[in-house]
Parts: sequence; C-alpha cells; structure tokens
Amino acid sequence: MILELFQWLQSLSFMTFIRESGLEYPIVMSTHLTCIAIFGGLIVITDLRLLGWAFKDKSIADVVNGLRWWKRVGFIIMFSMGFTLFGSKAAEYYPNPYFWIKMSFLVLVLIHAIIFRPIVYNHPEELDASPVIPTRAKVAGALSLIIWTTVLCNGRLIGYYEPKNRGFSISKPHEQESASVGRLR
Amino acid sequence: MASPALLQSNAIADLLNNTEWGFAVAECFHIVFFGVAIGTIMIVDLRLLGLAFPRTTSAKLLQDTWVYTLIGLAVTVLAGMALFLSDPRMYYLSQWFRFKATALLVAILYNYTVHYKVASSSSSTGVCVVVGAISVLLWVSVVTGGLFVGLLA
Repeated sequence: MILELFQWLQSLSFMTFIRESGLEYPIVMSTHLTCIAIFGGLIVITDLRLLGWAFKDKSIADVVNGLRWWKRVGFIIMFSMGFTLFGSKAAEYYPNPYFWIKMSFLVLVLIHAIIFRPIVYNHPEELDASPVIPTRAKVAGALSLIIWTTVLCNGRLIGYYEPKNRGFSISKPHEQESASVGRLR
Repeated sequence: MASPALLQSNAIADLLNNTEWGFAVAECFHIVFFGVAIGTIMIVDLRLLGLAFPRTTSAKLLQDTWVYTLIGLAVTVLAGMALFLSDPRMYYLSQWFRFKATALLVAILYNYTVHYKVASSSSSTGVCVVVGAISVLLWVSVVTGGLFVGLLA
C-alpha cells in the first residue's frame, strides 16, 4: 500500500523530470541543505537561549520572536525541497531504515510543536518574567536540540544505505555500486 | 609538499575506511557543526541586511555569537579534514572539492576581516547590506560546493 503510493508519487511527471534531470536534482538538494544549515542554526540559537546557556543578556522574547519568521520561511523552503527530493526517488526511500527514522523524528517535531507552542513559544514574555527559566522551557529546548540533531544525522545517513547485499549496513555514498538516494544519476 | 598519493595511506583513513560507522559519524559532526557556524553567522547577516533584530546592533549580536561560530567552524574544519584524509586522491581530483575549499577559505577570511570589521562598527546601511549579502552568498557557495563533491564524485 505505502510502496504503491511511493511508486505513484515517483511516476508523476514533475518527479520524473527532477529524477532524470542533470543539474536540477543537485540544485534542489543544495537549496534543501542550505536551508537546513541556516534553519538548523537558528533553531540551535533559540534552544540554547531557552536552556539558559547562551545569549543570557538578550530576552527570550527577543530571540524567539526575532527568529520566528525566518525559521518559518526556512522550514517551508526546506520542507518543499525535501519533499521534491523524496518524491523523485520515493520507491528507493521505501526500504531505507534511515528515511523512516528521519520521518519518525519529524513526527516528533510536530508533537513537540503541539505540546510546547502554547506553553513556551507563543508566550516568551511570560518566560522572561519568571526569575529563573521555567523547566518547561528548558525541556522544550533540550528536546528540540535532540530531535533536530537526530533528524539531521539520519537525513545524511539516508545516502549511506546500500540495500544490495548489505542489509542494514552502510557504505560511503560515492562508493556505492548501485544508484542510491541522494546520488546524481 | 606531500602529494595526495602519499596522503592516501594514513591512520585517519584507516579508521574512517575500515570501520562501518567512522565516515558517517565524521560527516554527521561536519554537517551539524556547520549548521551551528552558519546559523550564528546568519544571525549577524540578517541584522546587517536589516531583516531581523532591529532593536539590537550587529556588534552586540557578533559579541553574542562569535564563540559558537568559532566552535562550529573549528569542529567543521577538523571533521572535514578527517573526511578529506579518508580519500585524498578522490577529493584532490574533484573540481567541486577545489571550488568548495576555495569558497570556504575565502568565506572564513571574509568572515574574520571585512565581515567582522563592518559588523562590529557603525557602518552605513548600504555597506552593511552589501557585506551581509556577500557573506550569505559565500556560505551558500560552500554548502553547494560541498554537496556537489559527493554527488558528482
């Protein structure tokens, strides 16, 4: 069922165009990675402030509100590019365990947002008013760091998965014998 | 100067090539800390471009972020050198690696000279915008070059 859905997605004309293109695929991937680098860095800054480890002379509200829109813009571009990359080779992603780990942690990102947005991110002024940073804010920052680092690392490991004769083993993306996800055809 | 062929056999290459997870772990460090470095540089760039933190000066942001930028760059470069040593011949022959290495060198030099000087002083808005835009372009070039090294190897 899921595999059939992936195969259908991969067969769409736009996805076929991306997959069979010369430079378009790496350009989409470059945009995806650039946004990850920028967006990831902005998340780290926010998390470090929530944990009270950095930017202590700047209010939590300044950091959270100041970076909010840039993180949203980065996330939208990153997600769009990521979905395009996935869709263009969806059937190849299907057996890849690192892809599923990444997806699972992206679900955790959603759960994290549902839980902590109402009590932390939407009311940073309340956190500043507290004499010490509330535990809920520190938990939100710590979990965010862990979840996003796991997403990032597994996103990279997707390119290492070599199904042919290797089971769950990994090999360098540029040394794999078969065409793999994340590799230019 | 040692040639890539002479560098081909080294202890780091042995570790990265003969352990299943060595290369992957090094690359994860390379990418995660690169995100930290670029993210902190980008905060200053967004201020220089007039797109964020209007109530704070770029000098203050630079003061707040420089340690994280330095740690991020240091770990990124060290992990990157280990990755390079895992297969120096392949990287040496890659035009995209040369592009990336050149862009990285220029970006780091730019970051600690022009970028630092302008961000820590009260330059005119026009100068700040140009310096911030060049910084963004340089770091995007590094990411793009790095990606193409793997894709076109």
